[in-house]
Amino acid sequence: MSKKPADLDFAFTRRTAIAGTIGGMVWAGLIARLFQLQILDKERYQAQAEANHIKLQLAPPQRGRILDRFGRPLASHRRAGRISITPEQTDDPEHTLAQVAALIELPDERLARIANEIRLSRRRNAGFVPVTVAHELTYEDFARMNVHAAEMPGVNVEMALTRSYPRGRDFAHVLGYVARASQDDLVRLTEGMSDKESETLKTMFRHPDMRTGRQGMERFAEEWLRGKPGYRKLVTNAHGRVIEEIPDERLAPTAGRDLFVTIDSDLQRVAIERFEGESGAAVVMDVETGDVLAMVSTPAFDPNDFVNGISTASYAELRDDTRSPLYPRAHGGVYPPGSTFKMVVATAALESGTVKPTDRVHCNGYYHFGNRTWHCWKKGGHGSVNLHTGIKGSCDVYFYEIARRTGVDKIAETARKFGFGQDWVLGMTGGRGGLVPDREWKQRVRKESWYEGETLNFGIGQGQLGTTPLQLALMTARIATEGKPFKPRMIGIGPQSQDDHTLDAPLDPEVMKLMKAGMYGVTSEGGGTAYRSGDLGLGGPRLAGKTGTAQVRRISREERLSGVRSGSEIARELRDHALFVAYAPADNPKYAISVVVEHGEGGSRTAAPVARDILHFALKTDSRRKPTYSQSASLPKSMTDDGEPT
Amino acid sequence: MNREGFTGFSRGEARTRTATSLNFETQGPLNKLMRLPWGFILLIAAMALTGIAMLYSSAHTNPVEAHLWKLQLVRFIFCFFMMIGLALLPLSWWMRLAFPAYAGTVVLLVLVELMGVTGGGAQRWLQIGPVAVQPSEFAKLAVTMALARYYQMVLQPQSGRILVHLGALAIILLPAALIFKQPDFGTTLALVASGGVVIFLAGLSVRVIGTAIIGGVASVWPVYQFVLAPYQRERVDTFLAQLFGGATNALGESYQIEQGKIAIGAGGLNGRGFLQGIQSQQDYVPEQHTDFILTVIAEEFGFLGSTALLIGFAVLLGWSLYSAARSVSWFGRLASAGAVATVGFYIVFNVGMVLGLLPVVGMPLPLISYGGTAMLTTMACFGLIIAAHMHRDEKLTARGLF
Repeated sequence: MSKKPADLDFAFTRRTAIAGTIGGMVWAGLIARLFQLQILDKERYQAQAEANHIKLQLAPPQRGRILDRFGRPLASHRRAGRISITPEQTDDPEHTLAQVAALIELPDERLARIANEIRLSRRRNAGFVPVTVAHELTYEDFARMNVHAAEMPGVNVEMALTRSYPRGRDFAHVLGYVARASQDDLVRLTEGMSDKESETLKTMFRHPDMRTGRQGMERFAEEWLRGKPGYRKLVTNAHGRVIEEIPDERLAPTAGRDLFVTIDSDLQRVAIERFEGESGAAVVMDVETGDVLAMVSTPAFDPNDFVNGISTASYAELRDDTRSPLYPRAHGGVYPPGSTFKMVVATAALESGTVKPTDRVHCNGYYHFGNRTWHCWKKGGHGSVNLHTGIKGSCDVYFYEIARRTGVDKIAETARKFGFGQDWVLGMTGGRGGLVPDREWKQRVRKESWYEGETLNFGIGQGQLGTTPLQLALMTARIATEGKPFKPRMIGIGPQSQDDHTLDAPLDPEVMKLMKAGMYGVTSEGGGTAYRSGDLGLGGPRLAGKTGTAQVRRISREERLSGVRSGSEIARELRDHALFVAYAPADNPKYAISVVVEHGEGGSRTAAPVARDILHFALKTDSRRKPTYSQSASLPKSMTDDGEPT
Repeated sequence: MNREGFTGFSRGEARTRTATSLNFETQGPLNKLMRLPWGFILLIAAMALTGIAMLYSSAHTNPVEAHLWKLQLVRFIFCFFMMIGLALLPLSWWMRLAFPAYAGTVVLLVLVELMGVTGGGAQRWLQIGPVAVQPSEFAKLAVTMALARYYQMVLQPQSGRILVHLGALAIILLPAALIFKQPDFGTTLALVASGGVVIFLAGLSVRVIGTAIIGGVASVWPVYQFVLAPYQRERVDTFLAQLFGGATNALGESYQIEQGKIAIGAGGLNGRGFLQGIQSQQDYVPEQHTDFILTVIAEEFGFLGSTALLIGFAVLLGWSLYSAARSVSWFGRLASAGAVATVGFYIVFNVGMVLGLLPVVGMPLPLISYGGTAMLTTMACFGLIIAAHMHRDEKLTARGLF
């Protein structure tokens, strides 16, 4: 069947119109679909576009450093390789963990613990918080992990900043240490917070970089040092892998503030070395400013061991060590002050007016009171003794007599004016106040009345009386400054303790001058108990001090009679502690010091030379010179140990 | 209905135009240049430049792809002048070129089969000197021209015979089979579809068309089961799953569609603004600068932008179809309409795929997507359309094969 061309032309036109119409309908369909996606379902897709791919990851703030008075870091940061797993970024964390374990060495015990942590993390709906698998990676491990990390979703290999204590053991008891926040820590830290605040804080502390101060200044100044957390704005692809980070200043964490302490870390080091392995404590203060220049307690632990969690075995070793490295002796060690307390007794006696400096007491080596006999340390006695020779020769009989005349309550009251019986915080933890006994205390605690005989023991710094080396240094500083108001401090820039107050209870300067004269006699006059330690070896300045011996146990009558009192014949841990308090220079006091050498037996023989050498170094290097933090307003930027700004 | 009267109107109009065009013809080549449909050409240029801007937006954050927009701009400028040149070619030249171009394309397709470069899992590319070309792209234009040339030859003397259309079918199926073997299902489909449109416009009887449709529907299952490669089946499965809201693995095959839909949906009415798309700027959508470029436009310019784009295409194609209908020669009509169908199917397949209405078939968006061969084909198609428009009154006589 053949058609005419005109028919064909018409058919073409018509079919073109049909094709065009169909095309138009298809177009309308496409536009309808666009309308559906872009107008009707807009909310859903916009939410997906926003939420799926820009992730806010908690960014922990960098903890502030702790610096000594000359800006030397005591607590800082160190870079260390770390592997962590972000549970939500991997489908099968167990498998991922096994992959990691195939590449680096991980003990089974640790693997089980990590697997458990990952499970916990998921249960808490906190799968976005990375769980640390290994830290302190060796260079080889770090390099190998870096190569393979791309194949393992959810595995992060990164350089983390770890808290570091460059001075190691030197400041263990002052600074304390940081650790991952435990449940107990979180309860303590969130006390009094609203639910929202406490939730934020808890989330932040789950981050593997976050540490909290567990002891010492790290704990005391926690909020000062911590800073505020921020967020990292991360763009992830469909697999959850981070493609890039979008810098956003508004979300950046606020770094913690640096804490400046008054310590001279070199003096601290010299002091520790001077103990030559003996256990003991030393506190050095600037008597003009109250700055604590050294706060030594030895032996000590290495706080670096605690930062990433100390193993149970290592901790047990520290805990069970008979030399007690965990024990903060300088501010938490309570010792009977022994004869170093005699200045307090003398001050009480003179201020109460019951004794005059010229009053004489005859010492023949023992003192009868009631039906008991009290002995002087010097067999045969000191003969006729007044205030000056009593202090210089540390005559026990003289102090039995004036203590008895003065009475316990007056002595206790005076002791408190010197700072005894109070826990001086100074930014540390673990401090103790010791004990200044009096009638009221005995009645309250022991439910007994005070015996006069106890006053005699009190008079020579024994008995119930308990003091810390820190308090002894304070006492010495008050004498050296002749009773001027005195406030100790160890934090130069940072939060101050609300419990510490200024020691401003009046002390008679004339009495203090007599005490100083007595202490000068001890080190510089014939008959002084520490005559050989007076010269500081600097061609002029001398120190003035007072020896002391703290009884570790009661001396039995038999021993006293047989003469076995010291030496290698008794076990070391039963030997007396040696004490020495001093200030220097004697004619113009700048430094006050207290030294306790545990089981050192004689104050003059072991403690005084230690004190002498520490003061020698302090004077020679001028430890108390102006701290750097008070000189310039612009503080140095936060840096890591290797000097890189962070 | 009075068919004569209606036809007479269109022929009368044609006569009037013949007179005017002859007047201009006498005034030299510059006037011919001025008679080009400049509005149409400017719309093409505007859309291509939009595409280059979107290419910049999608790739500028990626150091490897950041420079691509410049390359695409250079290609466009080249193709633009090529299009103008092609537009000025008389239809008789086009007609002479038709069969040789077709033969050449078939040869290239065979060469691809023998020595082609594998890219993206299929053997589609042929390295000629420094350039890699995709002969399957050229096939679209070549088949259109060959079909028009064929009908020009056979319709005038013996129109309406059903057997006549069998020859046309052969012209389509030879390259289609070669392309399908590469395998490139999308291009094969587009080729057959646009070829089918030409046969439809050439007057294939309604009964045959109805039979073909029934046969086509019936063959869907066997084709899916026995003809498609596993990866192609997988795509169809994914497509059906997401179309009917079934569970799909968001990180697997449908990831591209999902991410694309998120980008489109996130655009909303006004879009996020140029260079502001979250999805677009972060490389969430694979192949976003090529096949999924629409997602960038949709996210950054919203519903208004994407609709404007589709309307722009509708104007281009509608005007082209109208122009085709006014051509006096069968070659002019069918070549022009075939070119419209070719570009139209590109758009429908691409947009349908990106919007999740069609399976992923790997089809670029004309003028917009990055890619040289597609740009070349599209611009050549527009060149042919303009040429048919310019020479709509040219009477052609087909003699032999050239």
